[in-house]
Amino acid sequence: MVKEELTKNSPLRILEKATHGGLGKGNIAVIASRRGIGKTACLVHIATDKLMRDKHVIHVSFSSRTDHILDWYEDIFREISQKRDLENAMEVHDELVKNRVIMNFNQDGVSMDQVLNSVKAMIENGQKGTDAIVVDGYDFTKNNDGNVIAKVKNFAKEMDLEIWFTDSYEGEVVQEGAIPSNLKCCEENLSVIMVLKNEGDVMNLNLVKDHGNEIKEDLSLILDSKTLLIARK
Amino acid sequence: MAKDIAKMRNIGISAHIDSGKTTLTERILFFCNRIHAIHEVRGKDGVGATMDSMELEKERGITIASAATNVQWKNIDINIIDTPGHVDFTIEVERALRVLDGAILVLCSVAGVQSQSITVDRQLKRYNVPRVAFVNKCDRTGANPYRVADQLREKLNLNSVMMQVPIGLEEKHEGVVDLITMEALYFDGDENYAVRKAEIPSELQAEAEEKREIMLDALSMFDEELMELMMEEADIPVEVINRAVRKGTLDLELCPVFLGSAYKNKGVQPLLDAVENYLPCPTDIENKALDLDNDEAEVILEADNGKAPVALAFKLEDGQYGQLTYIRIYQGEVKKGSELYNIRSKKKFKVGRLVRMHSNNMEDITEAGAGDIVALFGIECASGDTFVQNGMNLSMTSMFVPEPVISLSIEPKDKKASDKMAKALNRFTKEDPTFRTYVDEESNQTIVQGMGELHLEVYIERMKREYGAEVTTGAPQVAYREAISSSVDFNYTHKKQTGGSGQYARVAGRMEPMEEGEYEFVSEIKGGVIPTEYIPSCDKGFQSALDKGSLIGHPIVGVKMTINDGQYHAVDSSDQAFQTAARAAFREAYMKAKPVILEPIMKVSVEGPSEFQGNIFGSINQRRGIIIGSTEEGAMCTVEAEVPLSEMFGYSTVLRSSTQGKAEFTMEFAKYSKVPTSISEELVKAFQEKNKNK
Repeated sequence: MVKEELTKNSPLRILEKATHGGLGKGNIAVIASRRGIGKTACLVHIATDKLMRDKHVIHVSFSSRTDHILDWYEDIFREISQKRDLENAMEVHDELVKNRVIMNFNQDGVSMDQVLNSVKAMIENGQKGTDAIVVDGYDFTKNNDGNVIAKVKNFAKEMDLEIWFTDSYEGEVVQEGAIPSNLKCCEENLSVIMVLKNEGDVMNLNLVKDHGNEIKEDLSLILDSKTLLIARK
Repeated sequence: MAKDIAKMRNIGISAHIDSGKTTLTERILFFCNRIHAIHEVRGKDGVGATMDSMELEKERGITIASAATNVQWKNIDINIIDTPGHVDFTIEVERALRVLDGAILVLCSVAGVQSQSITVDRQLKRYNVPRVAFVNKCDRTGANPYRVADQLREKLNLNSVMMQVPIGLEEKHEGVVDLITMEALYFDGDENYAVRKAEIPSELQAEAEEKREIMLDALSMFDEELMELMMEEADIPVEVINRAVRKGTLDLELCPVFLGSAYKNKGVQPLLDAVENYLPCPTDIENKALDLDNDEAEVILEADNGKAPVALAFKLEDGQYGQLTYIRIYQGEVKKGSELYNIRSKKKFKVGRLVRMHSNNMEDITEAGAGDIVALFGIECASGDTFVQNGMNLSMTSMFVPEPVISLSIEPKDKKASDKMAKALNRFTKEDPTFRTYVDEESNQTIVQGMGELHLEVYIERMKREYGAEVTTGAPQVAYREAISSSVDFNYTHKKQTGGSGQYARVAGRMEPMEEGEYEFVSEIKGGVIPTEYIPSCDKGFQSALDKGSLIGHPIVGVKMTINDGQYHAVDSSDQAFQTAARAAFREAYMKAKPVILEPIMKVSVEGPSEFQGNIFGSINQRRGIIIGSTEEGAMCTVEAEVPLSEMFGYSTVLRSSTQGKAEFTMEFAKYSKVPTSISEELVKAFQEKNKNK
C-alpha cells in the first residue's frame, strides 16, 4: 500500500468527518482521559497521520524525555506501516523524521509564554511551515484561570496552525457526553473535545464538543488495546 | 601487601573549565604531603601545576589528558584521576569516569552551574558516580554559594544540601561553619595550612542553626535512627549524621555541598574528610564486565583479591623510561612477575615493573589489589584494553570502535620532523583507537583520520609540542562512502587474443545493495562453467574494485555480488583474466546500479541559554541539519540534532559568535546517509575536475 492510500483509509478520516472537516487551523482540540489509558498514543497517532500527509508537526512535551517520545513515534509508525503493508517504509520514515521536532519543557520552571516563544523560535528558525502542534502532559489544573489557554488560542491563530492537547483528569466520574471539570474554565477556547473512556472491555473515543455543533451520533472509534492505535469499532 | 579495600578511594575531580579544578587538585596533593611547594596553573615560576605534565597544558592553562595520582589522607588511600574539563575532550573524561568510584564536582561560586557542569554531571549520572560538590572561589567578588546550591537543585536536579555555612564571603572569606559538629573552622595558620577550630561567631549562630535544621531534615530520609532522634529532639551523634550522609550520597540521592577557596587554601581539609566519610570504596560500587563468549552479556565483578584478576588500561603515557600504562584493577590481584592476557590483542604478557604514581614521580611496588589504580611499565597495549587472567574472555569495554569520519593530510616540514612525526603517530594511534593513520599510495601523503576537526587539531598540536614535529596540514576531508541503490545483472567478457598468450574470461551474475555489512560474495556457479579454482579470482576482482568507487573515488560499501554464469577457455583463461573480468564487470554494473554517495551524519547536541535558541535552531537549519528535539529547563536549553559532518567545519566559531560565547556543543558520529542530489552532483564534478588535472 502506498502512503496516500494508507492515510485515505485511516480511521482518523472518520474523526475529521464527524468534526465537520477536522479541527482546522487556529483551533485547539483536547483529548481527555484518566491517567494511563492511552492519550499519548492517540496524540502520536494523530501526529503521525499528519506527518504521513506531508505536514510538519511540533511535539511539545511536559512529561517525558525526548528519547521516550521518539520510542512512541517509532512504535506507532511500525504498527501502522506493518499492519497496512506500507511501501518504501524506510524512506517514508526518514521523510517523517525531517518534518517532526520534539520540544521538551518542565512545566514547573517554564511559563506558557516562554513555551510559546520557544515554539515560535523553532517555527521561524528551524521548522518553517509547521501545520500542527501536539502538546502532551500539560497539567490543566495548574494556572487554571483560562487565560493561559486564551494565549495559546491566539498563538494558534497568529501562527495559523492546529493545536492538540491531552488532558488528564483524576478522581472524577465524567458523565456521558460531559466535559471534564478541569477544562470548563477554558472551554470557550477549545473547539473540539474528546473523552477517551474505558467502557467494559473497550476504550471508546467520544466526541463531547464539536466546534459549536450539536453532537448527534457516536463516533464509533475505539483505541485498540493491543496496538494503542485509533481504530474503527 | 595489598591494601585494605575499605580504606581506598578512587575519585575524580570534575568541573567546568576554569572552575579551579587543577588548583584544587594541587592543594589536595599538598595537604596530603605529596608535594613540597605549590605551583600555580599559570604560575610565574615556570614549573606549572604538578598534574598538568603535558607542555600544551601548561601553555594553555587547561588540563587535556587525565593523569592519576595517589595520596594519603589520614589513614585513607586516595587515587585521584584528574579529568579534562574542556568540552572537546569528553572522550577522555568518559574514559576516566569509568575507573572512578566517586567524584568531587567543583563549581565556581560566582558562575555557578555552567553548561559544562551540566555535561559533566550528565556523564557522572550515566556512570552512576556518587559525588560531593565543592563550591570554589568563595573569595571572589560576587561569590554566592547559596545560589550555587539552589542551581544544583534546579539545573542538575540534585538533592543538594549545604554541609557548611561560609564565614564571610568575597574578600572577607575566612572559613566555614561545620554544620555537623557545629564548629567554626578557620584556615589562617601559617599560610593557611592548619585548621583552627573555634566557636561559631555570634552573628552566624542563628543562620548555622537554621541551615543545620534544613540539613537534618534532608538527611532524616536516609537513616531511621536519625529520624527517631530528631523526633525525640535528642542530641544527634556525629556518626549517625555521617552514616546518613554516606547512605544518601552512595544511593545517588543526596549531594552534600562544601565550600571554600582552593586558591586561598580554605576548605580543602574538610573536603578531604568528606571524601573519606561519604565517597564509596571499591566494594561499595558494582562494576560490570562484558562476557565475550556470551554476546557481550554483563558479568558482575567482585572487588576481591582472591578472585582472578580483571583490569582496565585506561590511560597510556610516554615516560622517560618507556611506556607507562595506567590500570584500574576491578577484581583480583596484580603481582609483579605474574602473567596477564590482553583481550584485544589476544596476547599474554608478563607484569614487569609495577608502580604507584604520583603525577610525575613513581614508587615501585610488588603487588596491587582489587580496586586499586596503578601503572605498568613497558606493556605493549592500547588505551581501553582489558587485562585478565589467561583463559578468561571478559572485556571492560565494548569491542566496538567507530570508524573515523574525517581525514587530513599532513606533511613534515623537514627530514628531522619526519622521524619525529612517525614516532608521534605511532604513539597516538596506540592511545586512541579512533585516531588512525596511513600513507596514501597515489599522493604519497600521510593521512590522519579521526572523529572530528578538533580531535585531529589536538593531535597535530601535540605532535608539535611533545615531539617537536612541525607539520603542515591539508584541508579536512570528510570520509564519504559510495553505495548502490538498485540491483542489476551483469555479464562481462574479457578477451585479449592478439599475439602472445591470450586472456579470456566471462563472468555473469547480479549486483545487489545490502543494508548491513560492507561486502558479500556468493557463488551460484553450476556445472563448472567457471572452474572452481577461478571462483576466488572473481571474488578478488570484485573486492579490488571496492576501494575506489567510480563516482568520487571513495570506498564502496553495502554490495552483494552473486555470480551464476560464465565461460572459460582451456588455454587462455587464468587467475589474472578472471580477476580482470570481475573488476571490469563490477565497474560496468556499478554505474548502472544507480550509485549514490553516503556522508557521515553527526549527532550534535548544543547547550545554551534559552534566549539564544532561535539562533541555535537557525544555525543547525542552515547546515542541512535535522532538529530532533529540544529540552528546556530553567533558563537553559539543549538542542539535539543530526547534521552532516561536512557542514560542521568551523561550527564552533559560528556558534560562539551567534550566542555571545554562551553556547557549547558536542558531537559524535551517528550514521552514514545519502547525500542530497544537488550536493552529490557537485562532489562528482569536483572529483572529475581533479582527475582531469592529473
